Amino acid sequence: MAIPVRLGVAAAGTIVAAVLPLVVKSPFALDVLIRILLFAFIGTAWNLLGGYAKQFSLGHAAFFGLGAYTSTLLQIDLNVSPWIGMLAGGVVAAIASLPIGWLCFRLRGPYFTIATIATAQVLMLVFLKLRDFAWGAEGTTIPNLGNAPLMMQFEGKAAYYYVTLGLLVVALGITAWIERSRIGYYLVALGEEQDAAEAIGINVPQVKRRIFMISAFLTAMAGTFYVQYIYFIDPQTVFNFSVSIEAALVSIVGGVGLLFGPLVGAVLLETTSALLQSQLGSIAGVQLTVYSLILMAVILWRPTGILGYVGELVARRRAKRPER
Amino acid sequence: MVEIVAQAVINGLLIGGIYALVSIGVTLIFGVVKIVNFAQGEFVMLGMYLSYFLATRLGVDPIVSLVVTMPVLFVAGVLIQHFLIRRVLGQNDLPQIFLTFALSLLIVNVSLMAFTANYRTVHTAYSDEALHFAGLYVPVAKLIAFAVAMALSGVLWAFLQATDLGKAMRAASQNREVAQLMGINPNRVFAVALGIALALAGAAGSLLMPFYSAYPMVGQVFVLMAFVAVVLGTLGNVVGALIASLLMGVAESLGIQFIGADSGLIVVFMLLLATLALRPRGLAAGVQR
Repeated sequence: MAIPVRLGVAAAGTIVAAVLPLVVKSPFALDVLIRILLFAFIGTAWNLLGGYAKQFSLGHAAFFGLGAYTSTLLQIDLNVSPWIGMLAGGVVAAIASLPIGWLCFRLRGPYFTIATIATAQVLMLVFLKLRDFAWGAEGTTIPNLGNAPLMMQFEGKAAYYYVTLGLLVVALGITAWIERSRIGYYLVALGEEQDAAEAIGINVPQVKRRIFMISAFLTAMAGTFYVQYIYFIDPQTVFNFSVSIEAALVSIVGGVGLLFGPLVGAVLLETTSALLQSQLGSIAGVQLTVYSLILMAVILWRPTGILGYVGELVARRRAKRPER
Repeated sequence: MVEIVAQAVINGLLIGGIYALVSIGVTLIFGVVKIVNFAQGEFVMLGMYLSYFLATRLGVDPIVSLVVTMPVLFVAGVLIQHFLIRRVLGQNDLPQIFLTFALSLLIVNVSLMAFTANYRTVHTAYSDEALHFAGLYVPVAKLIAFAVAMALSGVLWAFLQATDLGKAMRAASQNREVAQLMGINPNRVFAVALGIALALAGAAGSLLMPFYSAYPMVGQVFVLMAFVAVVLGTLGNVVGALIASLLMGVAESLGIQFIGADSGLIVVFMLLLATLALRPRGLAAGVQR
């Protein structure tokens, strides 16, 4: 898409998204919208590493959990606002990404993926053991202060909706900027062919390290938001493998390495999930069964994702049009 | 003290035999077809449920039910190769990683709906039996499982060494293009590799059933163990995977005994991360393509 077209789409989308809560009042619908925006945000963070650099992580729950725990510990132990905690969580996650990356980037392809799964699981097991420092397996509820915007607590869901919308806009802005910067071209190059990228003088380890830090930082912010939204934290929730899975899935289904890919994927997957839940109730296994079928279908028939396929259709139509 | 260590080593070796069946499958698929099968643990789980239902409905001994689980899973492997994996070969990493990952998610969650999350066990006449010598304790069910696992590994090794098809598989894993020039049909070889790998996973499931519970997520433990063993034992190397699996079983057992982890999983993950930290070169040489 040409830049002005994309900017137009983005502006129109933001305006529609901004007025949506004025029309949509039902808490259920707002909850679905919040989940769409939240997972679009996490997917956008994942996409920086997985989509552009083609390093397929299934361990982003590690950063989600670190962000959630950092802000919650700061809030409960030191009464620090989660707004600050959110940034602190991002910093903690970005720092944690250095040793994690040091280990995992030693491996390529599927073995990188396996190593990321292992690191997230180790962190979960560690937090399950941390009884004195972080409530162990039982977790804790986050004190409800009523309407306290400075503590990231609001009455009604609309305000939460705007927080996730803001986060998503920031992440999309960062992605759009990276896409057109030098590091963006480096990322695409190393995603295509790592050895060739190295051969033309790109400092591959450094580029990977930096993009992993940014991706981890953003994912951690989502973790803070999520526990503020549900007023509860425990290791099984915030380090859950399904967080890592959804981060990857929304991007792959929507289109990896495309700015709006994760958003498209999140709209499809979260809407599907909400419909399933409202029609069938919460039967264990239904949601992930459907997700896995969608994932399989995308991989077999539309490996560039929904948005990638739309792009191909547009390109084909353009090609048919006679030259001006 | 010596006895505690010896007992932990015995326990580890016995369960390591089961890990070996899973690891050999993973390494065989990686060596021949060049993909990592994220769903390998799920086929262990399916083997367990198949044995469970054969035992509870028809009264078939779980170990005897090998003769059913192995052929059923062999056919499943051939079909999965033909209808799914064949379509993503030669593409980039993304479809190759996420196709088998999606398959794993699908099998786990369909099983969750079909079988519920309840733990299923089969009680056999020998489930509580044990041999005692020199103060050590060897459960009969685990001993049988270990012996059968070793026998199956031996048969596979002989098959790869001595038969034409086995040689074709080794040739295809060493150099696909040249193997093709020699008249080896890669699709047939790949299908047999998948079939054998899944049959071994099914066998592991049957062998586990007399002393282990079946539940939809049970495969995770085995597949992660297998991934670590396969990395340790050099990717694609059957004998390496076997030895590494036995070592991993022992390491896990010692870890549970002395670190006191509630689940062996943390030990496995630590082993994986320690391997990555301490032996990156050896690993990288095997992993980089």
